Amino acid sequence: MLSRRDAIRGLTLTVGLAATGWAERAMAAAPAPTTLAWTPTALTQDQARLVDVVAELIIPATDTPGARDAGVPQFIDRTVATYYNKGQAEQFVAGLTRIDADARAAHGDVFVALTPQQQVELLTRYDQEATAARALTPAEPHFFPALEDLVTVGYFTSETGATIALQYEQVPGAYHGCVPLAEVGRAWATR
Amino acid sequence: MANVNGRARRKNTYDAIVVGSGITGGWAAKELTQKGLKTLVLERGPMVRHLEDYPTAVMDPWQTKYPQGQLPQDELNAHYAVQKRTGYTMTEYTKHFFVRDDQNPYTEESRYDWIRGYHVGGRSLTWGRQSYRHSPIDFEANAREGIGVDWPIRYEELAPWYEHVERFIGVSGQREGLPQLPDGHYQPPMEMNCVEKAFKAKSEARFPERRVTIGRAAHLTEPTEEQLSLGRTKCQYRNMCIRGCPFGAYYSSNSGGLIAAERTGNMVIRPASIVTSLIYDEKAGKATGVRILDANTRQEEEFYADVVFLCASAFNSAWIMMNSTSSRFPNGFGNGSDQLGRNVMDHHLGVGAVGEAPEFADMYYSGRRPNGIYVPRFRNLGDAATKRNDYLRGFGYQGGASRSGWDRDLGNRATAERGFGAARKAALTQPGPWTMGLGGFGEILPYQDNRITLNHDAKDQYGLPTLSMNVTIRENELAMRRDMQTAAVEMLEAAGFKNVQGRDGGYSPGLGIHEMGTARMGRDPKTSVLNAHNQVHECKNVYVTDGAAMTSASCVNPSLTYMALTARAADHAVKARKRGEL
Repeated sequence: MLSRRDAIRGLTLTVGLAATGWAERAMAAAPAPTTLAWTPTALTQDQARLVDVVAELIIPATDTPGARDAGVPQFIDRTVATYYNKGQAEQFVAGLTRIDADARAAHGDVFVALTPQQQVELLTRYDQEATAARALTPAEPHFFPALEDLVTVGYFTSETGATIALQYEQVPGAYHGCVPLAEVGRAWATR
Repeated sequence: MANVNGRARRKNTYDAIVVGSGITGGWAAKELTQKGLKTLVLERGPMVRHLEDYPTAVMDPWQTKYPQGQLPQDELNAHYAVQKRTGYTMTEYTKHFFVRDDQNPYTEESRYDWIRGYHVGGRSLTWGRQSYRHSPIDFEANAREGIGVDWPIRYEELAPWYEHVERFIGVSGQREGLPQLPDGHYQPPMEMNCVEKAFKAKSEARFPERRVTIGRAAHLTEPTEEQLSLGRTKCQYRNMCIRGCPFGAYYSSNSGGLIAAERTGNMVIRPASIVTSLIYDEKAGKATGVRILDANTRQEEEFYADVVFLCASAFNSAWIMMNSTSSRFPNGFGNGSDQLGRNVMDHHLGVGAVGEAPEFADMYYSGRRPNGIYVPRFRNLGDAATKRNDYLRGFGYQGGASRSGWDRDLGNRATAERGFGAARKAALTQPGPWTMGLGGFGEILPYQDNRITLNHDAKDQYGLPTLSMNVTIRENELAMRRDMQTAAVEMLEAAGFKNVQGRDGGYSPGLGIHEMGTARMGRDPKTSVLNAHNQVHECKNVYVTDGAAMTSASCVNPSLTYMALTARAADHAVKARKRGEL
């Protein structure tokens, strides 16, 4: 049976996690691992490694953890495995395929093997393409914002993203309609 | 044999039967049992116990199976083709509180978005909780304008029952002293945020007749002893209400009426009981009970009582009556007027305006208020100043201001901080711009040919006939929508908002989830199904007290009125039964 106590316990856990020293850990962030510490179910090992690197470029560790530490690559694998239908999954994988093909064409190797500088340049190109596609009437879809959306959702709905990068309270207890932003600090994770 | 039947009959006999356990069924159960009647509550869906059966109530965002709790496209299309149309009701958090459309079919002669939940508590678990009284103007409008039929009651007759309901369910709100939105009995109002307060001040300075108030919502802000004793406590500002409230802070049948009824010891509740028809005794000239189909065993069974309350929702109460034919009622139960299933009304919505607040970039809020602001109707109030020549009746606005969150550039939307990497991440961890929206809820007139009919050609999984819908909005509503958009733009502009955009996202009937009118109350049995006490004109021991009873729609959210009508009808039924009149 669900009780008020459970609700409050959930809140305490949240606060406990937020209090751990993420900033220090982020400063010591390691470079991308060459092998994954988890086993993908929908993506291949290569695709999963690519997702891991791209996700961390989209939401990097800063003073708060990045996409990798928030479990975003696993979130994306799970999404492809359980949420996407066949067509959506194929579309998603086609985006990954394009990234590696572009990396090979420009630099002769897969994306994860490129220098960070080369990786950022390639994603910047996609971002610019997406901006141009968005400006068309009607706007045209582009794989990069879709990928970026998935990383963003995965990150900010993760426990790490919601409670460390943002703020989250399962049970706020009260409503205050006019509070200085400086007192709140960061955006709320949920509405 | 006769003896066995006699025993079985006695076992299945109660003083009262209530069909449905939603917002009105819960009230009928509470009132009838508290007044001493042994009452059987029949619910077609499964049991939902307060607290125990809210499986998602304390789920955190990271505990969902799917991104943001959204359901996969294939699942939505296969099972929730109608329920998904609202855009907000069908998620991993909520899907167990809505029907599967593939298992509960109906025919759309015209598009009709029938959003519903079949389980104990019904839509009282998922409702919007806005709680407004109809005004004297609402009860008089049909007679004054020659529309439909006259309500057989006036505001004064329902006012004490509104109060009775407000005291039990708990409504937070602000008294405003407006004739078009009568004040009720309120717990302390929720707070407006900075932008809403500024909007109120500036918009009211320019348009004094367009009052801006905080929503009147069925949430406890200062619970009474009675509410606390039921295990309810005050709102914790989680805004996860639609999943069921672990604090019992908003009113539902599950957390309120049904618990009160259960405590009397006079209630038996039977889930999985699909009432298929009323049993009519031609000699006695009254109903003797109902027939059910057990949804699990598929066995038919009969239950008997002195009085029957139909509280199955406007369409399903009408369905039961349409499916209850006899030589006395060949065209449906109590349908001598041929009004059964007609005059379908809802509230038309999806039109209004949005704008960006020009100030308060350094201000925010804490807590998630499960409520917005409200602008009571300000058109056609009976004086020359508010008279419109292009349409009858009026609308209210619901709305609110908030700052956008981390999700503001999703869906390929352009924002100031597009791109990727550390700068975008940092930006998204701060709140985005303040925006404010106003969305109209407009009255729909009763049109006889806006109707639902029984379709014997299309059967459901139980072999029961289904409904066909034919409902459209007309010139009056379309003219009102234009004004709903224009007036919202005016208010936001007057309040200094930037980039104000009027919007009409379109409306299809049903989307207000306020279907009503299918067995209207009236003074004349020739033109209405129910009398002033919600009794079927032609069979006085059957009461219909859900949305079916509504003679006109008003523009305010209807649940409070349904509850007040139910409590009033229950009082009448108990007294009439005592007098031997039923």
